[in-house]
Amino acid sequence: MAVSLRESLQLVSDPKNLDASVEEVFTMMLGIACERDSEPLVTKAESVTAVVGFGGLLSGACLFKSGSSTAIKIAAAMTGMEFAEVDDTVKDGIGEICNMLAGAWKSKVPDLAANCGLSIPAVITGREYHLHVQAPEFKLVHVFRFDGASFEVTIICDGLQ
Amino acid sequence: MSEVRTLIVDDSSVMRKIVERSLRQAGLDTMVVHEAGSGTEGLALLKENQVDLILSDINMPSMDGLEFLRQLREQNLAPGVPVVMITTESSEEHVKQAILAGAQGYIRKPFTAEQVKERVLPLLNVA
Repeated sequence: MAVSLRESLQLVSDPKNLDASVEEVFTMMLGIACERDSEPLVTKAESVTAVVGFGGLLSGACLFKSGSSTAIKIAAAMTGMEFAEVDDTVKDGIGEICNMLAGAWKSKVPDLAANCGLSIPAVITGREYHLHVQAPEFKLVHVFRFDGASFEVTIICDGLQ
Repeated sequence: MSEVRTLIVDDSSVMRKIVERSLRQAGLDTMVVHEAGSGTEGLALLKENQVDLILSDINMPSMDGLEFLRQLREQNLAPGVPVVMITTESSEEHVKQAILAGAQGYIRKPFTAEQVKERVLPLLNVA
């Protein structure tokens, strides 16, 4: 029988899955406990955004966005190294965080885990850019904070079969 | 235990470092580590170096981890050396594909050093 995720939309779009994924990745890989923040993310200076695409029965993307100081803090926790700027290693680390978030998120729904692939992470740096997706099926945007730093994780679904 | 020669294949240099650190925390503190940023690079390294353990990501550009594993077996490189896949893909289908391609172990990212220890050390008979 053909698998359909459309019938599981409520389960796939459950916001708790995103919170659990962030907790899993940050606790296991970085030893960092994050808390949900009700305030939106504000990045005045340079920001770092990692994108991992979903393809298959669900199409869309997982995005991680933070200011450069938070990205540096996360990369330092991952590697045990110190960074003065957002260099290639920091970008690599943030791309991997996004990759693990995307993988952890889709693993929460078995049919999604089995029928949805992940792209290689892409990382964007810059100032004052905006992401626009026309009429997504659903979109989850959660902000988290730890140790004076904050970041945003977004799940966008623009197609579901 | 004696020195364990290990090959870590991952397109992310940060993940290679994390895997290495996890292995050292698991007790392999005297190992020699070879790093490869792709399956192609991993195969080239195995033509020049003998290893006791291979850990590979699956989702990589150019040659993914499963193709790396198939090529490894086809070219009879590192015969008898245990291969553990480390990946964000976690479905039973992905695990099955890895085992069919010849992997002896599977670790899902994110992982803890304890999980690495549980999955890797038995393959080296040092559990």
